[in-house]
Amino acid sequence: MSTIDPRIHEALDGELPTDALPVELRPAAQTVRTAADLLAAPVPGASLESRIMAEVRRPAPSPLRRAAGWLATPHAVTLRVRPVWSLALAATAAVFTLFFARDAGPQLGEHEGIAQFVGRFPDARSVHVVGTFNDWRPGTIALEDLRHDGVWSATVVLPTGTYEYMFVVDGERWVPDHLADRLVADDFGRENSVVIVRPVHR
Amino acid sequence: MRLGVALALLTAGVPLVAQSVQGRLEGRIPGEAVPVVDSLVQVALREGLPSEPLVQKALEGGAKQVPAPRIVAAVRASLGQLREAHDLLVRAGDQPPVRPGEVTTVAWALRRKLPPSTIERVVAELPHPPRGPAIHAIADLVAHGFDPDSSAGLIIDAVHDGLQRDRLLDVSTAALHEVQRGRTRDEAITVVRQQLPNVPGPPKPERGTVTRARRPETMTPPRR
Repeated sequence: MSTIDPRIHEALDGELPTDALPVELRPAAQTVRTAADLLAAPVPGASLESRIMAEVRRPAPSPLRRAAGWLATPHAVTLRVRPVWSLALAATAAVFTLFFARDAGPQLGEHEGIAQFVGRFPDARSVHVVGTFNDWRPGTIALEDLRHDGVWSATVVLPTGTYEYMFVVDGERWVPDHLADRLVADDFGRENSVVIVRPVHR
Repeated sequence: MRLGVALALLTAGVPLVAQSVQGRLEGRIPGEAVPVVDSLVQVALREGLPSEPLVQKALEGGAKQVPAPRIVAAVRASLGQLREAHDLLVRAGDQPPVRPGEVTTVAWALRRKLPPSTIERVVAELPHPPRGPAIHAIADLVAHGFDPDSSAGLIIDAVHDGLQRDRLLDVSTAALHEVQRGRTRDEAITVVRQQLPNVPGPPKPERGTVTRARRPETMTPPRR
């Protein structure tokens, strides 16, 4: 059972001029006419020659598509390297490994932890931290002002335990760490800061 | 013959210690203070007290360019604190010889104004050393205005709930955080006691922190 409007049938059969069709039926009539023309056209012969020629005439794929195809297709790769170069490659890899291993920081023992010392000394030329961890010897642990903003810091590995310390600014000014959680009288009229170093388990 | 060799080694031990102490002090403190400090160190050794705190106090005075009499006075005061700490530990139930680390910790707590009665209670209720972290945790709380007895009670409860060593410092830290959040100190102790033993641990250091860490060249033993 056809659902096509009978007026379209009449137009396709030439019984009714296409212009006489209502405007809303004209696109449908055009579609049906195109389909009828296609059905009426002769089927090309699918001979070997025509298939080859069609393949030849087909536009070449883009370089990107060809690259993607090459990457997706299995290939046999043969690498020919002189032994001397393979040794050099191994040595380079070893150097890189050592470099990155060193950059990963020190290996901490079971009874070692990390202490961070931070102080704000805007006009300082040098800041050191001295305390019971370095025999109160100035100059052994220097703080750095990495951003040049007056905030000096140092991160050091210490055996776990409790330490008293102070900052020495410009080699002469002794200053307690005001950020420390603990302070204790130093018996010399000032206060030492106290840090408790806990073990670090990485 | 063997006894003679043993005695010779024993008597040789003290001069060796003295020599090493003098070597550490010379050039670091005024010359006239060296023999006096050295003699005080020898007294500490003979009494079974730790000597490193005395050496450190002398080195600290020298680094701070304190005059010799004040260095000697400070070292003498430190020796007195060590004696007081030793006696307190024995009085509270520790059997001599008392561990040097315990003596040092108790002397340090006394310097931080922890009442002797509180320390005696901790020693009596926690008979097995090391008690250093427990005493440090209580001293931290007392230094921030907590009641000594309540602080000691909280830390002792934490030990009985299975927390040990450095984890006890997390208990005092948790209580301090509660105060920072606006609770009274009594409320903070109550809240943290309810959390036991599941108080938050310390934040793990960031990878960058560990990477930047450097080992200083001159190291001395920690004061426990």
